Amino acid sequence: MRDTDTKDLELTRTLAAPGEPFVWLTAMGLALGLIMVVGLLGVIVANGLPVFWPSKIVEVHLKPGVKNPLPNSGGTLTGEIVQTREKRIPVLSATGDKIEDQTEVQIFVGNKDVNGSGFVFLNNSDIASISEPRGIYRLERMEYGIAFAYPKSLQLADGTSLPADSPAFTQTLTRLDAESAARRREIEKIEKHDIGAINSRITQLRAKGKGSPESLKEIAALDADYQLLAAKARELRAIQSAAALIYTTPNGIERRLPVGELVAFTLPNTLVFNQKLGLFFHNIWNFLTLDPREANTEGGIFPAIFGTFVMTLLMSLAVVPFGVVAAIYLREYAKQGLAVRAVRIAVNNLAGVPSIVFGVFGLGFFVYFVGASIDSTFFGEYLPTPTFGTGGILWAAATLALMTVPVVIVATEEALAAVPRGMREGSLSCGASKWQTIQRIILPASLPGILTGLILAMARGAGEVAPLMLVGVVKLAPSLPIDGAFPFVHLERKFMHLGFHIYDLGFQSPDSEAAKPMVFATTLLLILLVVVLNLAAILIREKLRKRYATGAF
Amino acid sequence: MPNTKKTLPGHATEQNRFETSKLTLLVDRFMTVFIKFGGALVITSVLGIFVFIVLQIWPLFAPPSVTPLKSIPLPDTKYALLGVDEWGAKPFLVEPDGSLLVVDYETGETQDQSLNLGITGQVTAAFLNKREQKIILGTSNGQFVFVSPNHTSRESGGRQIIDVNPTAETPSSIGDPGMPITDIAYGDSGSSKLIVALQSDGETNRVTASLFKRKRSLMGKNKEEAAGTHDLTPMIPGRPEKILVPVTGDSVVVISESGKVSYLVLADGKFELRQSFTPFGDLANSHINVANFIFGDVSIAFASDSGENRIFSLFYPEGGKERLFGITHEFPNLGASPVLLVSTLRNKAFLLGGGKELSLRYSTTESIRWQSRVPYPVSNAVISGKYQRLAVLDSSNTLHFFQIDDPHPDSGWKALFGKVWYEGAPGPKWDWQSTGGSDDFEPKYSLVPLIFGTLKGTLYAMLFAVPIALLAALYTSQFLDPRFRSTVKPTMEIMASLPSVVLGFLAAIYIAPLIERQVPSLLLVVVGVPIVAAFSGFFWSHLPIQIRKFIRPGWEWIVFLPLLFISAGILWYLGPAFESVAFVVTDPATGQKTADFRAWWPAVTGASYDQRNSLVVGFMMGFAVIPIIFTITEDALSNVPKPLITASMACGASRWQTALRVVMPTASAGIFSALMIGLGRAVGETMIVVMATGNTPIMEWNIFSGMRTLSANIAVELPEAPHHATLYRTLFLGALVLFLLTFAINTVAEVLRQHLREKFKTT
Repeated sequence: MRDTDTKDLELTRTLAAPGEPFVWLTAMGLALGLIMVVGLLGVIVANGLPVFWPSKIVEVHLKPGVKNPLPNSGGTLTGEIVQTREKRIPVLSATGDKIEDQTEVQIFVGNKDVNGSGFVFLNNSDIASISEPRGIYRLERMEYGIAFAYPKSLQLADGTSLPADSPAFTQTLTRLDAESAARRREIEKIEKHDIGAINSRITQLRAKGKGSPESLKEIAALDADYQLLAAKARELRAIQSAAALIYTTPNGIERRLPVGELVAFTLPNTLVFNQKLGLFFHNIWNFLTLDPREANTEGGIFPAIFGTFVMTLLMSLAVVPFGVVAAIYLREYAKQGLAVRAVRIAVNNLAGVPSIVFGVFGLGFFVYFVGASIDSTFFGEYLPTPTFGTGGILWAAATLALMTVPVVIVATEEALAAVPRGMREGSLSCGASKWQTIQRIILPASLPGILTGLILAMARGAGEVAPLMLVGVVKLAPSLPIDGAFPFVHLERKFMHLGFHIYDLGFQSPDSEAAKPMVFATTLLLILLVVVLNLAAILIREKLRKRYATGAF
Repeated sequence: MPNTKKTLPGHATEQNRFETSKLTLLVDRFMTVFIKFGGALVITSVLGIFVFIVLQIWPLFAPPSVTPLKSIPLPDTKYALLGVDEWGAKPFLVEPDGSLLVVDYETGETQDQSLNLGITGQVTAAFLNKREQKIILGTSNGQFVFVSPNHTSRESGGRQIIDVNPTAETPSSIGDPGMPITDIAYGDSGSSKLIVALQSDGETNRVTASLFKRKRSLMGKNKEEAAGTHDLTPMIPGRPEKILVPVTGDSVVVISESGKVSYLVLADGKFELRQSFTPFGDLANSHINVANFIFGDVSIAFASDSGENRIFSLFYPEGGKERLFGITHEFPNLGASPVLLVSTLRNKAFLLGGGKELSLRYSTTESIRWQSRVPYPVSNAVISGKYQRLAVLDSSNTLHFFQIDDPHPDSGWKALFGKVWYEGAPGPKWDWQSTGGSDDFEPKYSLVPLIFGTLKGTLYAMLFAVPIALLAALYTSQFLDPRFRSTVKPTMEIMASLPSVVLGFLAAIYIAPLIERQVPSLLLVVVGVPIVAAFSGFFWSHLPIQIRKFIRPGWEWIVFLPLLFISAGILWYLGPAFESVAFVVTDPATGQKTADFRAWWPAVTGASYDQRNSLVVGFMMGFAVIPIIFTITEDALSNVPKPLITASMACGASRWQTALRVVMPTASAGIFSALMIGLGRAVGETMIVVMATGNTPIMEWNIFSGMRTLSANIAVELPEAPHHATLYRTLFLGALVLFLLTFAINTVAEVLRQHLREKFKTT
């Protein structure tokens, strides 16, 4: 008895085992896949969000004898700690032992006008102590980026001076800052909008008027307007530099910053949590609504958001009717046979054709063929300067529409096919015509499916960069594709795009260190946009599946 | 039932109640036509992409056309030279007395522009420096003189008018005074000028080189001064017959009567005989009939008496320290004895002519662009600077004009896919280099390195992605607790939606520097984690059931998450220690030991190590490929009919045995199609590759070096490519290759998938 018992036990033990390690191996596959997604999203969030959080300004005291990487700074260094990383020293000692690795600290020292470069690296072992000076200001400037500064006095427009320790100092600076911001907006309005309108009208008159007396007269009148506006802008600019903030940099150099050059100022080391939170959201708001500055490394990314939005919208306007019509044709009207099956496979496969191929086609067909034809027909007087014969938002949208039309066709077809046969037959037997059936029964029933296709197409369009590089995206567009100047929607204009912004900043920026926070923040936004769109599509699809799961029988 | 017998009230009058409204019918008919037409239009236009791209690349392979324009008879005399302006509008000939005969193509008139040259003898030799459009004439009494035709272009009434105002410099003597010059040539590098003359009185021959240095003065006027005369005759074997001087003016090539070519180089103010060779030494008659530099003056085209045609180029031979001439290309026989060989100023094409044969050839690709038999014996020819017009002088002094329409001479099957021996290279190779620093740069348009790069990137991406995707799909479909599926699948699908520019940016900015410092750690993780997985599975399954019951089947992955983190973390931090043991290189000079994988890899394998390499690309491309393979494989595995699985289980197979022996084989076609679609995605991926590789078109499988793929190449080069130039069309060809590749891959996958669907429908 005992013998059989143990034997049985052994048997069960071996029976439980076959292949179990391999199951764990497959579990590793899934775990790895999930970690990859979550990890990647985590990296982006972890690098993107802190960009907006106000960080402390520290004063680093170096150990005696350590050479300061900044000139004239003595033994201290002031800035924000960016990261601490391990410094690998690959050299081995004579005995073959590893010489101790050490960590190094990257510090953003700002004050590019004084220091030359914005970042320094320090060995952790060279640092004696770190303190947090309370009175230090973080000045955001129009040029040269951030300055860390100890204010000295405020030079007012009337010639009087207000010392930094006077109680009214912060209040006055805040007021001046607000005033200068208002003036900056006014100058921008004059220079970009009003003068821009005059310029485009003059160009138009020069091209179309061909030197006729009327056109010359109008040009002269416009020129007078221009002089007036330019004088006003000059006057405003003079006011902008009348008042100034006098400050000393941490290494003791005195600088004068006209209030017109000051964007914002904070005292990061005195902020409490609530203030920091407020500043955090304020920074996010600025990021979303401002124009970029300093070769896109500062300011906001509003034009890129707007460009992406308009381009995706135009693309959707083009892709939905064409995609739906083609899908209805394939599913409802075309005779189902080998030919339609082949077409269906071909259309399906077009969704897998690399996006760059569509970009190549867009450049060759839309820009160089259609665009050039439009130019020679309608805009001949501007030639050789191309109007539509160069990349622009219309061609970008058309290219992406072409790229995503297979996605919409496939999704719509699937949705049409999923409409239960009973509904179709019921409608027809009630005497409805074929089109009435499609219009009243089939299309409404398949609307969620079509919507899924559209959302997927939008997500793909918003995240795609490669084809756009060929058909009209630029790193810095002078004007938005929709603005107040007649005819309001400028389809021929070049535009900025979130994805291209990332490529350009992360890959082609002259100061890639300074661009890093901006790229991560933009990446975070783009990922957020694309993930939300995709999640919406997935959710709609899941709902759809459930609905037909019950309705199909 | 009395009611049924009754007729319905108003039966006759309400007949139209059963008729369909006219409007409905009309709308229906309209919509039918509209949708049929519109749908067909959308589908045709989408498929029209292919047609458009093919139309764009067609000119690359199209044969050129050379069409005769008109013929203009000239006064009968022996012309020393035939030249032409940039536009091919006003060719000119040098008459024996040194005056210019200018031919107007438009009107067909000729105009004799005599110049007061101040020479006493007849012109016996002439050479045209095409780049400077300047002529040097040699006379029967040993004098030489420079003449410039000075073509200028102006516009008048919307038409282009070309004017010719020739000027001459003062003549000088060279070599033996009074001895007739039989050939002359010069080269001008800007700072120095080299004039070489061959003099012959029938018995003695003399080759003299005269060097001039030019000093830039502050006044802007260049002052030329003589910097020595060299008698080259002693250095030349045999009787010299022809002289070639490159534009750089730093060497002389002398061709002897016997067909021997001497290459003399000017070094430190002295000439030395660097090389002596016989291009047609293998033929019975090794005499060289005609020879000339190809544009760029690095290659010389030779043609023998019998019509053989060979190109010799300067390059550093394997292990050599000096540039020597070597045969790089050989053309088919002309079929006549050549009398003219003229090169162009635009590309590496040249025209070879003799008897009644004319042949336009392209040296780089060894292709005959055009060959034709003309009804007259040819004696001289010239090609306009823009490579658009050809003027041929026949033996009875009639000038025949041709229009050359050959926009892409540097293209063709051989240039795009074959191994080509480029100038300066020690052998034929596949190379991509579309732009260079100078005008005479030879563009290299081989798509082979790009296709190779595409395959390399795809291979490393698939190596990384396929195992993870397949394992994850198998687990999700067969072993995972069903309640997780609704979250796991969308999460993996989110991965597919990540924009590739984000992946590329992270690869370049985040992953590449991270991996660069920690390659040994990565190696440990890659090898170690699967071992830990399998071992923990083995260990777990041998635990008593009392412990095992705590983890239900389908929950293993949750247990595995912390395990994975811990094991990967430990292995990652063990990396540096591993490096200092396994990857140590010793500097042979100092004996200093360095534990650095980046130094170890090149030292051991001889291959390079780049920060942006295939490993990074493979890893990041995994994000793009894994979700695609995962989703499709998971669908295929889940669609395997349940009865098969339950039957297998009932027979006593374990879940792994069922999955491996029953589910996987049944779904194999679906898995294969998933791999194909993943492959298609990897082949076409652009932004990741653009950002995370160095974009160098190299051909090596080394995992720690970069590559350039077809798609990245298009993204990098197309924005700068001039419209309709060869580069532009070649990039379109690259796009077509990509298109066809992915289309073919996807079609195979799709057909398989449909086949699979049919199969399961019947079961």
